[in-house]
Amino acid sequence: MRGPESSSVWVVCPAFNEATAIGGVLSDLSRTDYHVVVVDDCSCDATRDIATELGATVISHPINLGQGAALKTGIGYALSQGAAYIVTFDADGQHRVGDIPRLLDALDHSRADFALGSRFLTPSPIVPIGRRLLLKAATLFTVAMTGLRLTDTHDGLRAFTRRGASVFHLRQNRMAHASEILGQIARSGLRYVEVPVTIEYTPYTMAKGQRAGDLIMVLLDLFAQRLYR
Amino acid sequence: MIAQAILSLVLSGMLIYAWAERRRSPAVAFLSVAASLAGLYFVWFPSQSTRVAELVGIGRGVDLILYLWVCISLIVLLNLHLKLRIQEEMITKLARTIALANVVRPGRTGALVFVEPRAGSMQPPAVDGAHISSDARASPISSNSP
Repeated sequence: MRGPESSSVWVVCPAFNEATAIGGVLSDLSRTDYHVVVVDDCSCDATRDIATELGATVISHPINLGQGAALKTGIGYALSQGAAYIVTFDADGQHRVGDIPRLLDALDHSRADFALGSRFLTPSPIVPIGRRLLLKAATLFTVAMTGLRLTDTHDGLRAFTRRGASVFHLRQNRMAHASEILGQIARSGLRYVEVPVTIEYTPYTMAKGQRAGDLIMVLLDLFAQRLYR
Repeated sequence: MIAQAILSLVLSGMLIYAWAERRRSPAVAFLSVAASLAGLYFVWFPSQSTRVAELVGIGRGVDLILYLWVCISLIVLLNLHLKLRIQEEMITKLARTIALANVVRPGRTGALVFVEPRAGSMQPPAVDGAHISSDARASPISSNSP
């Protein structure tokens, strides 16, 4: 069975100051038939111009709201344009475009509404040790909170069906959205599947990535979020 | 006497402010009025606070007031935090609405195409004005919001 029609797939790229990397990402994506929407989170560099030049649909936040908000904007827009499948794809070049069809196929094959990338499912994942410890801690925490059985909770490469994407009501503007997405997947009761993906660790993606301090902020954010429920 | 006068002045100010604010948030105004009245009372009859403190099992009146103050501060902090959070959500919605009203699209086909700058100008592709209103209506904000 072939995967879904490429033209019904929308790839959402949240981007903040990604001028050095987004060109490569978008030219890789332009070789596919996917619709690409870049949500520029008020970058100070040329991210928006590059994305526009490379022919992506560009939505620009007038102020910096955070990656979670950018995802919500992009997912909502894709839904409003009739997307049947939505893929979230980081703009910093850490994901491989070749992994997208595998996520979409996984959605089809397992009749799931969410396909979540996991860098730890590949046979011999190359993940720097500091990053590995940080991610393991985050995964333990998120699994404990949501009850989902996952190996990697902070992988930005995900694919949703239209039904799946419609369950999100993201309120965490900042990085805590990764756990928030998973919490809402858990609550939706819809089927999810994890798919091995490869993350490219370059000095650039490492510098842009999460640090231990960010993780503490994520935890604080999530505890604060508990107060509102 | 000087301390009592200053404290009375401050507490009276708070009393007036709380009373003036009663329309906006009756609960907060009521609590503030009660707190300032209690404060005024204890400023002029300090021994009374000790009696109340002993009644609830705290040694000194000063301690009672200290504990109450800590509790009130925490409640105020939480209240402010919630308000900030609500404001953040409103700003997010506003920013998102603005963003969705100004989507820059590639060609009509929706496929990835290179957008040629118009001859003689180096302007980036113009905002797709024809779609502004439809985008605003189709915006996910209204449908996604709880």
